[in-house]
This record gives sequence, structure tokens and C-alpha cells, in this order.
Amino acid sequence: MISQFFVLSQRGDNIVFRDYRGEVPKGSAEIFFRKVKFWKEDGEEEAPPVFNVDAVNYFHVKVAGLLFVATTRVNVSPSLVLELLQRIARVIKDYLGVLNEDSLRKNFVLVYELLDEVIDFGYVQTTSTEVLKSYVFNEPIVVEAARLPTLGPAAMFMQGTKKMPGTAVTKSVVANEPGGRKREEIFVDIIEKISVTFSSSGYILTSEIDGTIQMKSYLTGNPEIRLALNEDLSIGRDGRSIYGYSSSAGAGTVILDDCNFHESVHLDSFDVDRTLTLVAPDGEFPVMNYRMTQEFKPPFRINALIEEAGSLRAEVILKIRADFSSSITANTVLVQMPVPTYTTRVSFELEPGAVGNTTDFREANKRIEWGLKKVVGGSEHTLRAKLTLSQESHGNIMREAGPVSMTFAIPMYNASRLQVRYLQIEKKTKTHNPYRWVRYVTQANSYVARI
Amino acid sequence: MAPPAQSQRSQSPSQPSGKGEVSDLKVQLRQLAGSRAPGTDDSKRELFKKVISYMTVGIDVSSLFSEMVMCSATSDIVLKKMCYLYVGNYAKGNPDLALLTINFLQKDCRDEDPMIRGLALRSLCSLRVENLVEYLVGPLGSGLQDHNSYVRMVAAIGVLKLYHISSSSCIDADFPSALKALMLNDPDAQVVANCLSALQEIWSLEASTSEEASREREALLSKPVIYYFLNRIKDFSEWAQCLVLDLVGKYVPSDSSEIFDIMNLLEDRLQHANGAVVLATIKVFLHLTLSMTDVHQQVYERIKAPLLTLVSSGSQELSYAVLSHLHLLVMRAPILFSSDYKHFYCQYNEPSYVKKLKLEMLTAVANESNTYEIVTELCEYVANIDVSIARESIHAVGKIALQQYDVNAIVDRLLQFLEMEKDYVTAETLVLVKDLLRKYPQWSHDCIAVVGNISSKNVQEPKAKAALIWMLGEYSLDMSDAPYILESLVENWEDEHSAEVRLHLLTAVLKCFLRRPPETQKALGAALAAGLADSHQDVHDRALFYYRLLQYNVSVAERVVNPPKQAVSVFADTQSSEIKDRIFDEFNSLSVLYQKVLSL
Repeated sequence: MISQFFVLSQRGDNIVFRDYRGEVPKGSAEIFFRKVKFWKEDGEEEAPPVFNVDAVNYFHVKVAGLLFVATTRVNVSPSLVLELLQRIARVIKDYLGVLNEDSLRKNFVLVYELLDEVIDFGYVQTTSTEVLKSYVFNEPIVVEAARLPTLGPAAMFMQGTKKMPGTAVTKSVVANEPGGRKREEIFVDIIEKISVTFSSSGYILTSEIDGTIQMKSYLTGNPEIRLALNEDLSIGRDGRSIYGYSSSAGAGTVILDDCNFHESVHLDSFDVDRTLTLVAPDGEFPVMNYRMTQEFKPPFRINALIEEAGSLRAEVILKIRADFSSSITANTVLVQMPVPTYTTRVSFELEPGAVGNTTDFREANKRIEWGLKKVVGGSEHTLRAKLTLSQESHGNIMREAGPVSMTFAIPMYNASRLQVRYLQIEKKTKTHNPYRWVRYVTQANSYVARI
Repeated sequence: MAPPAQSQRSQSPSQPSGKGEVSDLKVQLRQLAGSRAPGTDDSKRELFKKVISYMTVGIDVSSLFSEMVMCSATSDIVLKKMCYLYVGNYAKGNPDLALLTINFLQKDCRDEDPMIRGLALRSLCSLRVENLVEYLVGPLGSGLQDHNSYVRMVAAIGVLKLYHISSSSCIDADFPSALKALMLNDPDAQVVANCLSALQEIWSLEASTSEEASREREALLSKPVIYYFLNRIKDFSEWAQCLVLDLVGKYVPSDSSEIFDIMNLLEDRLQHANGAVVLATIKVFLHLTLSMTDVHQQVYERIKAPLLTLVSSGSQELSYAVLSHLHLLVMRAPILFSSDYKHFYCQYNEPSYVKKLKLEMLTAVANESNTYEIVTELCEYVANIDVSIARESIHAVGKIALQQYDVNAIVDRLLQFLEMEKDYVTAETLVLVKDLLRKYPQWSHDCIAVVGNISSKNVQEPKAKAALIWMLGEYSLDMSDAPYILESLVENWEDEHSAEVRLHLLTAVLKCFLRRPPETQKALGAALAAGLADSHQDVHDRALFYYRLLQYNVSVAERVVNPPKQAVSVFADTQSSEIKDRIFDEFNSLSVLYQKVLSL
């Protein structure tokens, strides 16, 4: 049970504010924002998603640069409230197509309408976009996604925080498209976030894939959908230890450690033929989340070296190799490495003919950053950086720098080899043949090489 | 709605200041109120939107109340909704004006359209004005019997709202028993869920004064009611499922076969994508099996994978909430998680509140087989740019050493930290080395060799300085420089701001004196003099005490200050196991995140 719900902009302005129970004193939004902004004097630590000020519990999640906040005085389930906040953000996005400050401000009356149906007196009534459709009457004022970067398959995953699933499409589920009927289509995105830690000798210390099969349906009449996954997919490992079982299974089988499913999914035939059956509700939702620690081939190899080069000087050599097929291109690649705190100046040297590279020395947090717009599979890239130091490093320089971390997105690539074999939509009429989009993308979650 | 106090806000330029705009709106609303011209509704919509937007940013638009009510005579549902929102917000502060709205709300409660009936009833119950409750009872009564489930859904929560405005009217109208009947018979799951929410709240509040209410509250946990809910759990929305699971968690089954039935029934809820459902299910499992040790342990095994999946699949915020619960379980039964330690490795981009939990978990699960790897990983974090994490990591390494696994190697690593020559690393390590020596005096030789090399000038933090001074006093025989280092510390007595350090210094100098009198005599004299002149009461008293003790009898002083010490076997835990148990009882609540007992 929650008491209030509000959405704040990054500057702390109220965009929507709904008090459901009138038991938390006025000014809660202000108290909240001040607390979050000045969590620690030095500003280094982030405020946790849940905290208590004067017997009021504040919950918040960050979505699209906005703060979604709930307050309560009672000892509720934190995961319930946090899930709810995420879900409210998703419902709003389903309606508005694009979720940002601008679209929210333009549509706040619609948002209030939604909020009134989602929660009554602090109790959740429904968060299903499908159900809400029959209660909500405002038409969304569609904000063009023009100010966002072009919606290529990878750009769509660049917004939001690291774990927020990407956006299928920026189209409202209720608004009709200008000049015509609704287009019948369905999007199925297989989004994988990979975490790898390489030891200083290049050996893989830990690796994990966190995947989501995300669906967004614009189909009318809620047809039944069948989604077939790899036939040899297996789930769960028998051994007590999940690690250390790496290659005991036959090559080629995809072994998931665990997975969970959306409410609408029927698993009746899942054990037999790895098929998920569901009646897709409107809007965006995860059909299945999965986790895998089975060994996989990491898409990038990182090689990093730092050594002293005379007094008050050091040299860094960063090398990355794209270990995937040349028909695939990774984009928005960023390599970062902390350098010794007493570094004062850095000069960079790229390979001759390097295109779309950017280099930067972030003085404030003593970090070098190397951006590569595109990296084609099979290619190798090197960056040299000459550091000027303000003090001697006493042979300790290796301990003062690193680790190297990397972020990237690789469309049409999935590290786990989990696949949608087919996507079958129940036919309502003979001519009915909706568009189907099945897309894959892999992004880095925590991709780190120690030096 | 309770917008934040206007006065404290810094106005952003895009937000209007208020007064002039509000009176403009008043005039415009007046003009539209009686108009039947085409397009009126559209203009009204625009005006209403403005009013609501002012309300949101905290401008007081309550002066428009009567105009808003006049304009609300419309069949446009969007307009109606905005008007309801406005009225709900300001009625409480303007009870007289609220009376104006009763008429049209009551009329709407009898509308043909169930949607309008529901909306009107919801607004009517949201007015929060006590002298209007007499108008509420009738519409609520018919709302509960409405043939449309939307209206019944609204009415069930409406009863709860009424209870909060005037509990006596709610009880007098016998609404609780109406809710109970609805809860046990309504075909619509959300109506049932709302009845349950409302009844739980009402009966809990009534229970202190009414025996009947407390009996009714007990009855919610009776077998037939629980089974009624369990049997249709899949009809409920995921949120209502949480409500039901919460209830089931309080149920005490009569025998073990019943326990297994419930667990089998709920088994698939562990695969739900909604973390709230999974955690609520886990709570049921844990509580049902509390007295069945073996099964309880199997439950831990069973819930591990779903928990780990939730930690990595949700948003960062959610993952934190789940991780806190995993943390609780790991701390309760570390052995069961000892092979999962790699899941608790920190990722570089995680916020520090997540890393801190993980460090504690890594510390807890360390055992003979994984200590080497865990400590190696922890040592990586010591070089972390985030100073607080580096400190916590050193702390974790020390704690593992205190747990007695592979102490030898760990001591080596700790001593290596001292060679890193980072002030905070040195400080944190010194404190740990001191604790280690108290537990493993046999390591003193190696430790002292390294500690002896540290220049006291590089140690500034009081805790670390105190630790270093303690070691100088305790091991003054092994450190040849001890008297001289202590002497130079005494010389700087005036600059030492921490009373804790000065207290330690007094004791250390005396210990050193008792072992190496000729070399320390000068320092002791200076220390006692400085101590007697100290403005801090404890420091002064200790100096005086030592002075008199020495005057009385040096060998007694020896026995008091330097008795043979027994190695510490276990350091006291900061949190008692009773508190831990109570937090465990409150699994799936804020208590787990705050690591404090919240409920009474």
C-alpha cells in the first residue's frame, strides 16, 4: 500500500503528483529530492532506491532521466513497490509511445487518468495496458522521437540505465497512426546483457548472460502466439555448483541456469518442444527472463598495458579485438580506463587511418576514454596514450591504474545462441498476415579486463 | 493531492507565478459554465488542463472551486475525470464548497454508464470531509451490489475510505460484513482482492477495541478462507497474488501434508517474472517449513536460482531489493551458498550500496575451499577508485582471516596492503592487523616486522593511530624503536585531537615503561604530565590513575596494565541473533532493506 506517487524531473520539478491517502505531510517531494541530491556530502555515493526520512519511506526508480517515486508509512514489500514503479513507467510509455519529460508534461492529464485507475487508495488495481484501455479516455499527444538519435536497432538500447530493457518501438499502443489504420505488427526482441571479467592474463574469471525475450504487440484481437525456442534448450543444472560445470554438456546445447516467465505465458508444451504459448496483451512486456553462466565466446578481447616510460612519464597501450563474424558490426563502443590519480596530461595516438574514433582524458575522475563508433567483426584496434605524471610512481603504476571496462551494443548477435525458431500467430482471417520482427542484440553490462 | 509547499521551492522560469493567471482562469471558466455552444467541451478541456497543471506544480487553485463545479455539468468523461481529480484535491480544505459537488456526484452514481457510476463513487468517497459522510452510505451500499464489477471494485475500496473518514458510520452501516460476503462470493477476482485489502485494514484497526473485529481478523487465517484464496490464486492479478501470498504466509497449517500441498500449489509462482510475487512466495515457503529443518534447507536450494535470476534481470533498483533478501538468507545459512560465491563478486558499474551487500556476502560464505579465490578477488577491489569500497574490501579480508581459514596466506596479503602506501589502505589495514593479533598472537612476529616499518606520520586516522599505538605498547619488546616512536608521539600531545588516541597513548607508554623502563622513563613522565593537564575528563582520570598506581606499587601496576592476555576467540557480533530472527520473520518487507526491525 502506498501513500503518494510522483514523478520528478532531473531538476526536481513535479511533473505529476498524486496523493492517494493524505497521510504523508506536504513537501514530501521536496524532502525526497533534497535527500537524493545531497545523499553524501562528496556526492560520490548514490542514494539507495529505498530510504526513510521522518518515518516516511521513499521508493524511487530512475527511468528515462525521470524519478518515479512512491511514499508510504507502512512496512510494505519493497520489491512490490519498486516493481510497481517500473510498471507504471512502462504503462505510461505504452500509452505515450515515447517516455521523457516532454511527453509526460504534454500528457499529464492522461497520466493522471492512468494513475487513478492503476492505484486506488494506495492499493494496486491493475497495471495491464490491455485492461486500462477500457477505462482511459484521453488521447495521447504523441511526441515525435525526433530529438532522440535515429532508431536503429542498436540506438534503441542506448537510453535508460544499464539494466532497463530496451525499447521495442516508440509508438503508442492506443494512438492511431496519422492517415490510416493501425499497422498489424509484433516485435520480439532478444536482448542479452553480458558480464565478463578477464584476469590480467586474459583468462575469463566470471561470465554471465542476462537475457530477456521482450515482446511488444500491436495486433488486434489478441491472437494466440507460439514462440519456439532452441529444441535442445535445457534449464537448470543438476550439480550443486553452477560454476565448474562448464563443458560437461554436449557442444551446441544452450543451457540456461534459470529463467522466469510473464503471467500470460503457458508452459504446457514447453517441456516437450520448448514452445511458449501466450495470448499477448497489449504493450511491452518481458515474455521470459533468463540467466546463463555456461561458457560462451566473449565478443571482444581486451589487451591493456601500462608501463613507466622514463621519469614522470608512462605509456598505456589499449588493444581490442572483435571476435565475431565480419558480417556483424558493433556500435557505440566505449573503452575506459582509470589512470594514476597523479596523471596531469595525456596525449593520444590512434592508428593511422582510424575513423570514427574519439579519445578523451577525463581530468575530474582521472580516466581515459576511447570511443569507437563502429567496430566490424574480426577487426583489431589499438590506442596508445602517453601520460605525464606529477610524481614518481615507485614501480607501483600497475596498481594505480585499471581495470579497463567496455560498453558496446552488437545488433544481430547473441552470445547465448538462444534463438526464436519460429513465431506463429494464430490466424483470425485468411488475409490476416501481420508483420513480425524478431531482433537480437547483445550489450555489455559489466565487461572488464584487469591489468 | 499534496503539492510541496510553494514557499520553499525555487521557481523555475517555465512555471507561472500564480495569482494573475488564476483570476484569468476564473473569468474564462465563468464564461464557459453556462455555454452550450459547440466546441465548449474542447475549450473546457483546455482550461481544466491548465488548472490541473497549476495544481501539480503547487499553485493554489482552490479559489476556482465553484467555477469548476459549475463547469462539470457535462457528459464528456474526460472533463468529468479532471473535475473529479480537482475536487478530490481541494474538498478537504473547503468542506463548504465540497457540499456543492455532492449533488452532481450522487446523480452520477446513478448514471447508466457503469464507468461513470464507478468514477463518481470513487470521487465521492475521496472527498475526505467528515460532515458529508451521510451522503456516502447510500451510494456505497448500492455500489457494493452493483451488477458491474468495476463499480463493486470501487465500492470495496470506498468502504475503506469511509472507514478512515468516519469509522463509526462505516461500522454502523455494517459494511464490514457486506465486504466479507462479497469477498467470499464475488466472481471478480479484483473485487475479492479489494475486499480483502479493506477488511485487513479495518479489522486490524478495530481489533484493539472490538473483540469481534479481532475474531474476524483471525478468521481470515482459517483453513477454509485460506484454501478459498489459494484455489483461485491464478485468477488474481500479480499484485493481488502478492496480497494473497502475504495472507497465506501467516497461516499455520495443521500438519506436514498440508504444508506440502500448499508448496506444490505455489511452486510455479517461483517462476514468475514479477519479483514481488516470487519474494512473497518465498516467504510462504520459508515460514511454512521453519520447523522442518531438512525441508527448510531444501527450500533454500530451491529458491536460490530464482533469486539470482531476479537479481540480474530486473532494473538496478529491483535487483537491490532482491539482493538484500538474498543477503539475509546468506547471512543466515552461509554454508548453503558457499559454492555460489562467484555470484557475489562486485561488478565495476554497480552502485556502492550493492557492492557493500556483496562484500558482506562474500565474507560470510568464505570457507576452506573458496577462501583463496574470494580473498584474491577482494584484493582486486582494494585498488578500487571508490575509497569506501576499498576500505570495506580490506575489512572483508580481515574478517575472513578472523574466521580462521587459511590465516597464513591472508596475513601475507594484509601485510602487502601496508606496502601499497595509500593512506586509507594503511589505516584500514592497521586496525585489522591489531584485531588479528588479538586473536592470533602467534602471528605477532611477522606482523610486527612490517608494522614496525610504518612511519607514524603517515597514519592520521584516529582508529588506525590507536591501533598502531596499541601494537607499539603491546609488542614493545619486539619493536626496538617502540619507546622512541611513543616518545615522539607524546611530544606532539597538544596536536592530537582524538581523545581515543591519547588514551591509547597513555596506556601504551605505561606498558612500554614496564618492559623497558630506562628507555621509556622520559616519555612516561611527559605523558603523565600531559595527561594530568588534559582537558578531556577520561584522559585526565586515566593519567591520574596510572600516576597513583605507579606511586603505590609498580608490580601492582604491572598486573593491572600488563596482565597476560588470553587470545580472543570470537569477536562479538554487532547484531544479536534475536534481532536477526525477527528480521527474518519480516522477510519481504522494508525491515530487510534497513536491517532493522520495524514492525511491533
